Amino acid sequence: MLSKYPQMKKWLYSMLILVFLILETPFILMANAAEPFVLGLPFFLFWNLLWWLIGTILFFIAYLTDWGSKSVKAKSKSK
Amino acid sequence: MTVGVLIIAAFMIIPLVVGFFAASKSTKTSEDFFIQGRGMGAVAVFFTVAATWWSSFAFLGSNATFYTSGPVYLTALAWNLLFGFMYYWVGKRVWYLGKRFNYITPSDLLGDFYNNEKLRMVVAAILLIFTIPYLQIQLTGGAYLIEVASGGVIPFWFAALIFYFIIVIYVWVGGIRAVAWTDIIYGALLFFGMLFAGIYISQYLGGPTGLFKSLLENSPEHLTLPGPLGTSGYGQWFSLFIVTAIGAFMGPQIWLRMYAVKSGKLFNLMPFLLGFAAIAYMGSVLTGFSGVLLEPDVANADQILPIMLTKYAPFALASLILAAGAAAAMSTANSQIHAISTIVTLDIYQRYANPNASQDKIVKVGRISLVVFSLIAYVMALTVPGVLVTIGIAALAGTAQLIVPTIGAISWRRSHPTAAMWGLIGGVATALLITFIPAFSAPLGFHAGVWGLLVNSILFILISLKLKRTDEKVVKRFDEARFDYNQEYHPELIDDSIETRKSI
Repeated sequence: MLSKYPQMKKWLYSMLILVFLILETPFILMANAAEPFVLGLPFFLFWNLLWWLIGTILFFIAYLTDWGSKSVKAKSKSK
Repeated sequence: MTVGVLIIAAFMIIPLVVGFFAASKSTKTSEDFFIQGRGMGAVAVFFTVAATWWSSFAFLGSNATFYTSGPVYLTALAWNLLFGFMYYWVGKRVWYLGKRFNYITPSDLLGDFYNNEKLRMVVAAILLIFTIPYLQIQLTGGAYLIEVASGGVIPFWFAALIFYFIIVIYVWVGGIRAVAWTDIIYGALLFFGMLFAGIYISQYLGGPTGLFKSLLENSPEHLTLPGPLGTSGYGQWFSLFIVTAIGAFMGPQIWLRMYAVKSGKLFNLMPFLLGFAAIAYMGSVLTGFSGVLLEPDVANADQILPIMLTKYAPFALASLILAAGAAAAMSTANSQIHAISTIVTLDIYQRYANPNASQDKIVKVGRISLVVFSLIAYVMALTVPGVLVTIGIAALAGTAQLIVPTIGAISWRRSHPTAAMWGLIGGVATALLITFIPAFSAPLGFHAGVWGLLVNSILFILISLKLKRTDEKVVKRFDEARFDYNQEYHPELIDDSIETRKSI
Protein backbone atom coordinates (compact mmCIF):
# COMPACT_ATOMS: atom_id res chain seq x y z
CA MET A 1 0.00 0.00 0.00
CA LEU A 2 2.84 2.33 0.87
CA SER A 3 4.09 2.24 -2.71
CA LYS A 4 0.99 4.10 -3.82
CA TYR A 5 1.97 7.18 -1.85
CA PRO A 6 3.73 9.86 -3.85
CA GLN A 7 7.46 10.22 -3.12
CA MET A 8 6.97 13.70 -1.75
CA LYS A 9 4.44 12.59 0.82
CA LYS A 10 6.64 9.72 1.99
CA TRP A 11 9.63 12.01 2.30
CA LEU A 12 7.70 14.74 4.15
CA TYR A 13 6.16 12.43 6.69
CA SER A 14 9.41 10.54 7.28
CA MET A 15 11.26 13.79 7.86
CA LEU A 16 8.58 15.07 10.23
CA ILE A 17 8.67 11.83 12.19
CA LEU A 18 12.45 12.18 12.38
CA VAL A 19 12.12 15.72 13.79
CA PHE A 20 9.71 14.54 16.49
CA LEU A 21 11.89 11.51 17.29
CA ILE A 22 14.95 13.70 17.71
CA LEU A 23 13.19 16.27 19.85
CA GLU A 24 10.90 14.13 21.96
CA THR A 25 12.38 10.65 22.50
CA PRO A 26 15.13 10.12 25.10
CA PHE A 27 17.48 10.79 22.18
CA ILE A 28 17.18 14.45 23.16
CA LEU A 29 19.28 13.71 26.26
CA MET A 30 22.32 13.16 24.02
CA ALA A 31 22.16 16.85 23.19
CA ASN A 32 21.64 17.81 26.83
CA ALA A 33 24.80 19.88 27.30
CA ALA A 34 25.48 23.57 27.85
CA GLU A 35 28.69 23.51 25.82
CA PRO A 36 29.94 23.99 23.17
CA PHE A 37 28.23 27.28 22.40
CA VAL A 38 27.02 27.44 18.80
CA LEU A 39 26.19 30.83 17.26
CA GLY A 40 26.33 32.31 20.77
CA LEU A 41 23.75 29.84 22.08
CA PRO A 42 24.20 27.02 24.61
CA PHE A 43 24.27 23.69 22.79
CA PHE A 44 20.95 22.37 24.11
CA LEU A 45 19.13 25.54 23.09
CA PHE A 46 20.84 25.57 19.69
CA TRP A 47 19.94 21.91 19.09
CA ASN A 48 16.27 22.50 19.86
CA LEU A 49 16.11 25.62 17.71
CA LEU A 50 17.82 23.83 14.84
CA TRP A 51 15.27 21.00 14.72
CA TRP A 52 12.39 23.35 15.34
CA LEU A 53 13.59 25.34 12.30
CA ILE A 54 13.86 22.20 10.19
CA GLY A 55 10.33 21.21 11.23
CA THR A 56 9.00 24.66 10.38
CA ILE A 57 10.67 24.60 6.96
CA LEU A 58 9.18 21.14 6.34
CA PHE A 59 5.74 22.56 7.11
CA PHE A 60 6.36 25.27 4.55
CA ILE A 61 7.40 22.73 1.93
CA ALA A 62 4.31 20.73 2.88
CA TYR A 63 2.15 23.77 2.22
CA LEU A 64 3.74 24.36 -1.17
CA THR A 65 3.23 20.75 -2.23
CA ASP A 66 -0.29 20.24 -0.79
CA TRP A 67 1.26 17.96 1.83
CA GLY A 68 2.60 15.72 -0.89
CA SER A 69 -0.84 14.85 -2.19
CA LYS A 70 -1.51 15.32 -5.86
CA SER A 71 -4.30 17.80 -6.26
CA VAL A 72 -7.46 16.61 -8.01
CA LYS A 73 -6.54 18.74 -11.02
CA ALA A 74 -3.10 17.22 -11.43
CA LYS A 75 -4.61 13.77 -11.24
CA SER A 76 -7.23 14.36 -13.88
CA LYS A 77 -4.56 15.73 -16.19
CA SER A 78 -2.42 12.66 -15.80
CA LYS A 79 -5.32 10.39 -16.64
CA MET B 1 1.65 56.04 36.02
CA THR B 2 -0.84 58.06 33.97
CA VAL B 3 0.75 56.56 30.87
CA GLY B 4 0.13 53.10 32.27
CA VAL B 5 -3.52 53.84 32.91
CA LEU B 6 -3.85 55.33 29.42
CA ILE B 7 -2.38 52.19 27.85
CA ILE B 8 -4.76 50.03 29.85
CA ALA B 9 -7.66 52.25 28.79
CA ALA B 10 -6.72 51.90 25.12
CA PHE B 11 -6.36 48.17 25.64
CA MET B 12 -9.91 48.10 26.98
CA ILE B 13 -11.54 50.41 24.45
CA ILE B 14 -10.06 49.03 21.22
CA PRO B 15 -11.65 45.57 21.53
CA LEU B 16 -14.98 47.18 22.28
CA VAL B 17 -14.82 49.22 19.09
CA VAL B 18 -13.76 46.14 17.13
CA GLY B 19 -16.53 44.12 18.79
CA PHE B 20 -19.21 46.57 17.77
CA PHE B 21 -17.81 46.76 14.26
CA ALA B 22 -17.88 42.96 14.04
CA ALA B 23 -21.45 43.00 15.29
CA SER B 24 -22.44 45.25 12.40
CA LYS B 25 -21.26 42.49 10.02
CA SER B 26 -23.11 39.66 11.66
CA THR B 27 -26.35 38.00 10.67
CA LYS B 28 -28.87 36.92 13.25
CA THR B 29 -28.40 33.16 12.97
CA SER B 30 -26.95 30.97 15.69
CA GLU B 31 -24.45 29.55 13.20
CA ASP B 32 -23.11 33.05 12.71
CA PHE B 33 -22.87 33.72 16.44
CA PHE B 34 -21.14 30.41 17.23
CA ILE B 35 -18.96 29.66 14.18
CA GLN B 36 -19.26 32.70 11.92
CA GLY B 37 -21.35 30.81 9.38
CA ARG B 38 -18.22 28.73 8.46
CA GLY B 39 -16.80 31.71 6.62
CA MET B 40 -13.74 32.80 8.60
CA GLY B 41 -10.85 33.95 6.41
CA ALA B 42 -7.12 33.23 6.60
CA VAL B 43 -5.84 36.16 8.68
CA ALA B 44 -8.57 35.89 11.30
CA VAL B 45 -8.18 32.11 11.56
CA PHE B 46 -4.45 32.24 12.10
CA PHE B 47 -4.54 34.99 14.70
CA THR B 48 -7.52 33.67 16.59
CA VAL B 49 -6.12 30.15 16.73
CA ALA B 50 -2.65 31.34 17.70
CA ALA B 51 -3.86 33.90 20.26
CA THR B 52 -6.36 31.46 21.74
CA TRP B 53 -3.77 28.72 21.99
CA TRP B 54 -1.19 31.04 23.52
CA SER B 55 -2.58 31.93 26.90
CA SER B 56 -1.23 33.37 30.12
CA PHE B 57 0.17 29.89 30.50
CA ALA B 58 2.48 30.72 27.59
CA PHE B 59 3.08 34.35 28.46
CA LEU B 60 3.70 34.14 32.21
CA GLY B 61 4.18 30.42 32.69
CA SER B 62 6.99 30.10 30.16
CA ASN B 63 9.08 32.82 31.79
CA ALA B 64 8.36 31.34 35.20
CA THR B 65 9.43 27.86 34.11
CA PHE B 66 12.71 29.01 32.56
CA TYR B 67 13.33 30.94 35.75
CA THR B 68 12.71 28.13 38.22
CA SER B 69 13.27 24.89 36.31
CA GLY B 70 15.81 25.45 33.54
CA PRO B 71 15.30 24.56 29.90
CA VAL B 72 12.39 22.09 30.14
CA TYR B 73 9.97 24.59 28.60
CA LEU B 74 12.02 24.45 25.37
CA THR B 75 9.91 21.39 24.60
CA ALA B 76 7.36 24.08 23.62
CA LEU B 77 9.15 24.33 20.27
CA ALA B 78 8.18 20.73 19.50
CA TRP B 79 4.69 21.01 20.98
CA ASN B 80 3.99 23.96 18.71
CA LEU B 81 4.98 21.80 15.76
CA LEU B 82 2.72 19.02 17.04
CA PHE B 83 -0.16 21.42 17.55
CA GLY B 84 0.30 22.73 14.02
CA PHE B 85 0.43 19.24 12.58
CA MET B 86 -2.76 18.22 14.41
CA TYR B 87 -4.50 21.34 13.18
CA TYR B 88 -3.78 20.12 9.67
CA TRP B 89 -4.30 16.39 10.03
CA VAL B 90 -7.14 16.24 12.53
CA GLY B 91 -8.51 19.75 12.08
CA LYS B 92 -9.06 19.54 8.35
CA ARG B 93 -11.01 16.31 8.69
CA VAL B 94 -13.07 17.67 11.56
CA TRP B 95 -13.77 20.79 9.47
CA TYR B 96 -14.83 18.67 6.52
CA LEU B 97 -17.21 16.54 8.55
CA GLY B 98 -18.54 19.65 10.29
CA LYS B 99 -19.38 21.25 6.98
CA ARG B 100 -20.91 18.10 5.59
CA PHE B 101 -23.07 17.16 8.57
CA ASN B 102 -23.59 20.63 9.98
CA TYR B 103 -21.79 20.30 13.32
CA ILE B 104 -21.23 23.23 15.64
CA THR B 105 -19.94 21.64 18.86
CA PRO B 106 -17.42 18.84 19.52
CA SER B 107 -20.23 16.65 20.90
CA ASP B 108 -22.05 17.02 17.59
CA LEU B 109 -19.31 15.17 15.77
CA LEU B 110 -18.53 12.54 18.40
CA GLY B 111 -22.21 12.04 19.28
CA ASP B 112 -23.08 11.60 15.62
CA PHE B 113 -20.27 9.23 14.67
CA TYR B 114 -20.60 7.03 17.75
CA ASN B 115 -24.38 7.36 17.56
CA ASN B 116 -24.64 7.43 21.32
CA GLU B 117 -26.43 9.92 23.51
CA LYS B 118 -24.52 9.10 26.71
CA LEU B 119 -21.20 9.59 25.01
CA ARG B 120 -22.40 12.93 23.74
CA MET B 121 -23.10 14.01 27.33
CA VAL B 122 -19.78 12.70 28.63
CA VAL B 123 -17.94 14.69 25.96
CA ALA B 124 -19.83 17.88 26.83
CA ALA B 125 -19.19 17.30 30.53
CA ILE B 126 -15.44 16.75 30.04
CA LEU B 127 -15.19 19.91 27.98
CA LEU B 128 -17.07 22.03 30.51
CA ILE B 129 -15.40 20.67 33.64
CA PHE B 130 -11.85 20.92 32.34
CA THR B 131 -12.18 24.22 30.51
CA ILE B 132 -13.29 26.19 33.56
CA PRO B 133 -10.03 25.86 35.58
CA TYR B 134 -8.08 26.72 32.45
CA LEU B 135 -10.28 29.78 32.06
CA GLN B 136 -9.73 30.73 35.66
CA ILE B 137 -5.95 30.87 35.23
CA GLN B 138 -6.39 33.25 32.29
CA LEU B 139 -8.37 35.58 34.46
CA THR B 140 -5.91 35.38 37.33
CA GLY B 141 -2.94 36.00 35.03
CA GLY B 142 -4.62 38.78 33.09
CA ALA B 143 -5.96 40.66 36.08
CA TYR B 144 -2.61 40.44 37.81
CA LEU B 145 -0.89 41.97 34.80
CA ILE B 146 -3.36 44.83 34.63
CA GLU B 147 -2.85 45.50 38.31
CA VAL B 148 0.92 45.74 37.84
CA ALA B 149 0.73 47.68 34.55
CA SER B 150 -1.43 50.33 36.18
CA GLY B 151 1.13 50.71 38.94
CA GLY B 152 -1.31 49.31 41.48
CA VAL B 153 -3.93 51.97 40.76
CA ILE B 154 -6.33 49.27 39.55
CA PRO B 155 -6.60 46.55 42.23
CA PHE B 156 -6.76 42.86 41.27
CA TRP B 157 -10.49 42.37 41.90
CA PHE B 158 -11.36 45.43 39.88
CA ALA B 159 -8.96 44.53 37.06
CA ALA B 160 -10.57 41.11 36.79
CA LEU B 161 -14.00 42.69 36.82
CA ILE B 162 -13.39 45.16 33.99
CA PHE B 163 -11.57 42.44 32.11
CA TYR B 164 -14.71 40.36 32.11
CA PHE B 165 -17.12 43.18 31.50
CA ILE B 166 -15.31 43.93 28.28
CA ILE B 167 -15.27 40.33 27.12
CA VAL B 168 -18.94 39.84 27.89
CA ILE B 169 -19.93 43.01 26.03
CA TYR B 170 -18.10 42.31 22.82
CA VAL B 171 -18.82 38.61 22.68
CA TRP B 172 -22.46 39.42 23.46
CA VAL B 173 -22.78 41.74 20.53
CA GLY B 174 -20.45 40.15 18.00
CA GLY B 175 -20.16 36.42 18.75
CA ILE B 176 -17.14 34.53 17.43
CA ARG B 177 -16.50 37.15 14.76
CA ALA B 178 -15.81 39.77 17.44
CA VAL B 179 -13.57 37.33 19.29
CA ALA B 180 -11.57 36.55 16.16
CA TRP B 181 -11.14 40.15 15.15
CA THR B 182 -9.99 41.29 18.58
CA ASP B 183 -7.66 38.30 18.59
CA ILE B 184 -5.85 39.78 15.59
CA ILE B 185 -4.86 42.75 17.74
CA TYR B 186 -4.17 40.65 20.83
CA GLY B 187 -2.18 38.08 18.86
CA ALA B 188 0.15 40.67 17.35
CA LEU B 189 0.62 42.39 20.72
CA LEU B 190 1.34 39.10 22.42
CA PHE B 191 3.87 37.89 19.85
CA PHE B 192 5.92 41.09 19.79
CA GLY B 193 5.45 41.70 23.52
CA MET B 194 6.97 38.34 24.42
CA LEU B 195 9.93 38.70 22.05
CA PHE B 196 10.62 42.32 22.78
CA ALA B 197 10.50 41.93 26.57
CA GLY B 198 13.24 39.29 26.42
CA ILE B 199 15.45 41.17 24.00
CA TYR B 200 15.12 44.38 25.98
CA ILE B 201 15.83 42.88 29.38
CA SER B 202 18.78 40.79 28.20
CA GLN B 203 20.55 44.02 27.18
CA TYR B 204 21.35 44.48 30.88
CA LEU B 205 23.55 41.40 30.66
CA GLY B 206 25.23 42.20 27.37
CA GLY B 207 22.62 40.73 25.04
CA PRO B 208 21.67 37.06 24.59
CA THR B 209 25.22 35.69 24.28
CA GLY B 210 26.45 37.67 27.28
CA LEU B 211 23.47 36.41 29.24
CA PHE B 212 24.10 32.75 28.38
CA LYS B 213 27.83 33.08 29.14
CA SER B 214 27.24 34.51 32.58
CA LEU B 215 24.52 31.96 33.24
CA LEU B 216 27.05 29.24 32.37
CA GLU B 217 29.37 30.66 35.02
CA ASN B 218 26.80 31.37 37.71
CA SER B 219 24.10 28.76 37.31
CA PRO B 220 25.05 26.21 34.62
CA GLU B 221 22.29 23.82 35.72
CA HIS B 222 19.78 26.26 34.20
CA LEU B 223 21.09 25.35 30.75
CA THR B 224 20.52 21.59 30.85
CA LEU B 225 17.84 19.10 31.92
CA PRO B 226 16.78 18.31 34.65
CA GLY B 227 17.30 21.95 35.68
CA PRO B 228 18.41 23.56 38.96
CA LEU B 229 15.76 21.78 41.06
CA GLY B 230 16.64 18.43 39.51
CA THR B 231 12.96 17.70 38.90
CA SER B 232 12.44 18.74 35.28
CA GLY B 233 13.97 15.90 33.33
CA TYR B 234 12.95 13.81 30.37
CA GLY B 235 9.63 12.71 31.89
CA GLN B 236 8.44 16.26 32.22
CA TRP B 237 9.88 17.18 28.84
CA PHE B 238 7.82 14.53 27.09
CA SER B 239 4.71 15.03 29.27
CA LEU B 240 4.50 18.75 28.59
CA PHE B 241 4.89 18.08 24.88
CA ILE B 242 2.02 15.59 24.79
CA VAL B 243 -0.38 17.07 27.33
CA THR B 244 -0.10 20.73 26.40
CA ALA B 245 -0.38 20.30 22.65
CA ILE B 246 -3.16 17.71 22.69
CA GLY B 247 -5.02 19.19 25.66
CA ALA B 248 -5.15 22.66 24.16
CA PHE B 249 -5.96 21.30 20.73
CA MET B 250 -8.96 19.41 22.04
CA GLY B 251 -10.29 22.42 23.96
CA PRO B 252 -13.73 23.51 22.73
CA GLN B 253 -12.39 26.96 21.83
CA ILE B 254 -9.95 25.47 19.28
CA TRP B 255 -12.52 22.98 18.08
CA LEU B 256 -14.95 25.77 17.13
CA ARG B 257 -12.06 27.32 15.21
CA MET B 258 -11.85 24.22 13.05
CA TYR B 259 -15.52 24.40 12.08
CA ALA B 260 -15.45 28.16 11.47
CA VAL B 261 -12.80 28.01 8.71
CA LYS B 262 -13.91 28.99 5.24
CA SER B 263 -11.53 27.05 3.00
CA GLY B 264 -9.83 23.68 3.39
CA LYS B 265 -6.69 25.04 1.78
CA LEU B 266 -6.01 27.12 4.86
CA PHE B 267 -5.41 24.01 6.97
CA ASN B 268 -2.40 23.19 4.75
CA LEU B 269 -0.73 26.47 5.70
CA MET B 270 -1.54 26.60 9.41
CA PRO B 271 1.18 24.19 10.64
CA PHE B 272 3.84 26.44 9.14
CA LEU B 273 2.39 29.61 10.64
CA LEU B 274 1.76 28.07 14.05
CA GLY B 275 5.19 26.42 14.08
CA PHE B 276 6.96 29.59 13.09
CA ALA B 277 5.22 31.67 15.76
CA ALA B 278 6.99 29.56 18.40
CA ILE B 279 10.06 31.77 17.90
CA ALA B 280 8.40 34.14 20.39
CA TYR B 281 9.40 31.69 23.13
CA MET B 282 12.96 32.91 22.65
CA GLY B 283 11.73 36.04 24.40
CA SER B 284 10.72 33.93 27.40
CA VAL B 285 14.08 32.17 27.41
CA LEU B 286 15.82 35.54 27.64
CA THR B 287 13.46 37.01 30.25
CA GLY B 288 13.43 33.93 32.46
CA PHE B 289 17.21 33.44 32.34
CA SER B 290 17.89 37.16 32.88
CA GLY B 291 15.70 36.87 35.95
CA VAL B 292 17.94 34.13 37.34
CA LEU B 293 20.91 36.49 37.27
CA LEU B 294 19.29 39.83 38.04
CA GLU B 295 16.46 38.88 40.43
CA PRO B 296 17.27 35.49 41.93
CA ASP B 297 14.93 35.76 44.93
CA VAL B 298 11.45 36.15 43.51
CA ALA B 299 9.09 33.96 45.55
CA ASN B 300 6.20 33.64 43.09
CA ALA B 301 7.81 32.74 39.77
CA ASP B 302 4.68 33.61 37.80
CA GLN B 303 5.48 37.22 38.64
CA ILE B 304 9.00 37.18 37.19
CA LEU B 305 8.09 38.92 33.92
CA PRO B 306 6.08 41.78 35.48
CA ILE B 307 8.77 42.28 38.13
CA MET B 308 11.59 42.34 35.58
CA LEU B 309 9.72 44.77 33.38
CA THR B 310 8.74 47.21 36.07
CA LYS B 311 12.30 47.20 37.43
CA TYR B 312 14.32 47.25 34.23
CA ALA B 313 12.20 48.84 31.51
CA PRO B 314 10.78 52.37 31.20
CA PHE B 315 7.31 52.48 32.69
CA ALA B 316 5.47 53.11 29.41
CA LEU B 317 7.23 50.19 27.70
CA ALA B 318 6.65 47.93 30.68
CA SER B 319 2.96 48.80 30.69
CA LEU B 320 2.67 48.12 26.99
CA ILE B 321 4.27 44.69 27.28
CA LEU B 322 2.22 43.84 30.34
CA ALA B 323 -0.87 44.85 28.42
CA ALA B 324 0.33 42.38 25.77
CA GLY B 325 0.40 39.73 28.49
CA ALA B 326 -3.10 40.67 29.49
CA ALA B 327 -3.92 40.33 25.81
CA ALA B 328 -2.65 36.75 25.94
CA ALA B 329 -5.00 36.01 28.79
CA MET B 330 -7.87 37.93 27.31
CA SER B 331 -7.61 36.31 23.89
CA THR B 332 -7.80 32.84 25.40
CA ALA B 333 -10.45 33.72 27.96
CA ASN B 334 -12.78 35.34 25.43
CA SER B 335 -12.64 32.27 23.21
CA GLN B 336 -13.15 29.91 26.13
CA ILE B 337 -16.15 31.79 27.45
CA HIS B 338 -17.62 31.86 23.98
CA ALA B 339 -16.97 28.13 23.54
CA ILE B 340 -18.46 27.23 26.91
CA SER B 341 -21.56 29.22 26.15
CA THR B 342 -21.80 27.41 22.80
CA ILE B 343 -21.70 24.00 24.49
CA VAL B 344 -24.22 24.93 27.15
CA THR B 345 -26.60 26.43 24.63
CA LEU B 346 -26.46 23.82 21.89
CA ASP B 347 -25.47 20.60 23.66
CA ILE B 348 -27.57 21.10 26.75
CA TYR B 349 -30.27 23.73 26.25
CA GLN B 350 -31.23 23.08 22.65
CA ARG B 351 -30.79 19.33 22.76
CA TYR B 352 -32.51 18.52 26.03
CA ALA B 353 -34.50 21.51 27.23
CA ASN B 354 -35.94 23.11 24.15
CA PRO B 355 -35.27 21.31 20.85
CA ASN B 356 -37.58 23.61 18.91
CA ALA B 357 -36.00 26.85 20.09
CA SER B 358 -35.92 29.62 17.49
CA GLN B 359 -32.62 31.09 16.23
CA ASP B 360 -33.23 34.23 18.26
CA LYS B 361 -33.89 32.24 21.39
CA ILE B 362 -30.72 30.16 20.93
CA VAL B 363 -28.52 33.22 20.53
CA LYS B 364 -30.21 34.72 23.57
CA VAL B 365 -29.51 31.66 25.72
CA GLY B 366 -25.94 31.72 24.38
CA ARG B 367 -25.58 35.26 25.64
CA ILE B 368 -27.05 34.53 29.05
CA SER B 369 -24.76 31.55 29.61
CA LEU B 370 -21.91 33.81 28.57
CA VAL B 371 -22.67 36.10 31.51
CA VAL B 372 -23.20 33.26 33.98
CA PHE B 373 -19.95 31.45 33.14
CA SER B 374 -17.96 34.67 33.18
CA LEU B 375 -19.27 35.26 36.65
CA ILE B 376 -18.26 31.77 37.82
CA ALA B 377 -14.76 32.26 36.42
CA TYR B 378 -14.56 35.67 38.09
CA VAL B 379 -15.48 34.30 41.50
CA MET B 380 -12.99 31.44 41.03
CA ALA B 381 -10.20 33.85 40.12
CA LEU B 382 -10.78 35.74 43.35
CA THR B 383 -11.06 32.67 45.55
CA VAL B 384 -8.98 29.79 44.11
CA PRO B 385 -5.24 30.40 44.27
CA GLY B 386 -2.62 28.34 42.41
CA VAL B 387 0.39 28.30 40.15
CA LEU B 388 -0.57 28.90 36.52
CA VAL B 389 1.35 26.05 34.92
CA THR B 390 0.27 23.42 37.45
CA ILE B 391 -3.46 24.17 37.20
CA GLY B 392 -3.15 24.59 33.45
CA ILE B 393 -1.57 21.19 32.91
CA ALA B 394 -4.09 19.42 35.15
CA ALA B 395 -6.97 20.93 33.14
CA LEU B 396 -5.31 20.14 29.83
CA ALA B 397 -4.79 16.51 30.86
CA GLY B 398 -8.59 16.19 30.99
CA THR B 399 -9.46 17.68 27.61
CA ALA B 400 -6.54 15.84 25.99
CA GLN B 401 -8.43 12.54 26.50
CA LEU B 402 -10.83 13.48 23.72
CA ILE B 403 -8.14 13.02 21.08
CA VAL B 404 -8.54 9.23 21.17
CA PRO B 405 -12.25 9.01 20.18
CA THR B 406 -11.73 11.92 17.79
CA ILE B 407 -8.96 10.23 15.83
CA GLY B 408 -11.11 7.09 15.91
CA ALA B 409 -14.07 8.95 14.45
CA ILE B 410 -12.15 10.50 11.59
CA SER B 411 -9.99 7.58 10.60
CA TRP B 412 -11.11 4.15 11.81
CA ARG B 413 -14.42 2.58 10.85
CA ARG B 414 -14.26 -0.02 13.61
CA SER B 415 -14.24 2.64 16.34
CA HIS B 416 -16.93 1.55 18.75
CA PRO B 417 -19.07 3.73 21.06
CA THR B 418 -18.51 1.42 24.04
CA ALA B 419 -14.78 1.63 23.44
CA ALA B 420 -14.92 5.42 23.22
CA MET B 421 -16.90 5.61 26.45
CA TRP B 422 -14.68 3.27 28.47
CA GLY B 423 -11.57 4.82 26.99
CA LEU B 424 -12.68 8.27 28.11
CA ILE B 425 -13.75 7.10 31.55
CA GLY B 426 -10.52 5.14 32.03
CA GLY B 427 -8.38 7.99 30.73
CA VAL B 428 -9.96 10.73 32.80
CA ALA B 429 -10.06 8.54 35.93
CA THR B 430 -6.37 7.66 35.53
CA ALA B 431 -5.44 11.30 35.01
CA LEU B 432 -7.44 12.39 38.07
CA LEU B 433 -6.20 9.58 40.32
CA ILE B 434 -2.57 10.24 39.52
CA THR B 435 -3.04 13.99 39.91
CA PHE B 436 -4.84 13.92 43.23
CA ILE B 437 -3.58 10.85 45.07
CA PRO B 438 -0.05 11.62 46.25
CA ALA B 439 1.01 7.96 46.42
CA PHE B 440 0.64 7.64 42.64
CA SER B 441 2.41 10.85 41.77
CA ALA B 442 3.87 10.81 38.26
CA PRO B 443 5.03 7.19 37.74
CA LEU B 444 8.40 7.10 35.92
CA GLY B 445 8.29 10.90 35.87
CA PHE B 446 5.50 11.09 33.31
CA HIS B 447 2.52 13.34 33.96
CA ALA B 448 -0.93 12.00 34.84
CA GLY B 449 -2.24 13.13 31.46
CA VAL B 450 0.22 10.88 29.59
CA TRP B 451 -0.85 7.83 31.63
CA GLY B 452 -4.46 8.79 31.07
CA LEU B 453 -3.91 8.85 27.32
CA LEU B 454 -2.14 5.50 27.44
CA VAL B 455 -4.98 3.80 29.36
CA ASN B 456 -7.53 5.54 27.14
CA SER B 457 -5.87 4.39 23.89
CA ILE B 458 -5.42 0.80 25.03
CA LEU B 459 -9.04 0.50 26.16
CA PHE B 460 -10.26 2.16 22.98
CA ILE B 461 -8.34 -0.10 20.62
CA LEU B 462 -8.95 -3.37 22.47
CA ILE B 463 -12.70 -2.85 22.95
CA SER B 464 -13.14 -1.62 19.37
CA LEU B 465 -11.40 -4.72 18.05
CA LYS B 466 -13.54 -6.96 20.21
CA LEU B 467 -16.96 -5.45 19.46
CA LYS B 468 -18.75 -4.93 16.17
CA ARG B 469 -20.91 -1.96 15.38
CA THR B 470 -24.52 -2.75 14.59
CA ASP B 471 -25.49 0.66 13.24
CA GLU B 472 -24.29 0.02 9.68
CA LYS B 473 -26.07 3.10 8.39
CA VAL B 474 -24.00 5.52 10.44
CA VAL B 475 -20.76 3.67 9.72
CA LYS B 476 -21.54 3.80 6.01
CA ARG B 477 -22.40 7.48 6.09
CA PHE B 478 -18.99 8.22 7.57
CA ASP B 479 -17.25 5.85 5.16
CA GLU B 480 -18.72 7.85 2.33
CA ALA B 481 -17.65 11.11 3.92
CA ARG B 482 -14.11 9.80 4.32
CA PHE B 483 -14.09 8.59 0.74
CA ASP B 484 -15.21 11.98 -0.57
CA TYR B 485 -12.67 13.71 1.63
CA ASN B 486 -9.87 11.60 0.20
CA GLN B 487 -11.13 12.06 -3.31
CA GLU B 488 -10.92 15.79 -2.86
CA TYR B 489 -7.69 16.09 -0.89
CA HIS B 490 -5.84 12.78 -1.10
CA PRO B 491 -6.53 11.27 -4.51
CA GLU B 492 -3.52 8.97 -4.04
CA LEU B 493 -5.48 7.07 -1.37
CA ILE B 494 -8.58 6.57 -3.45
CA ASP B 495 -7.73 3.21 -5.03
CA ASP B 496 -7.41 1.72 -1.57
CA SER B 497 -10.64 3.28 -0.45
CA ILE B 498 -12.54 1.81 -3.36
CA GLU B 499 -11.35 -1.62 -2.35
CA THR B 500 -12.36 -0.97 1.23
CA ARG B 501 -15.69 0.26 0.06
CA LYS B 502 -16.35 -2.80 -2.04
CA SER B 503 -15.57 -5.01 0.88
CA ILE B 504 -18.24 -3.32 3.03
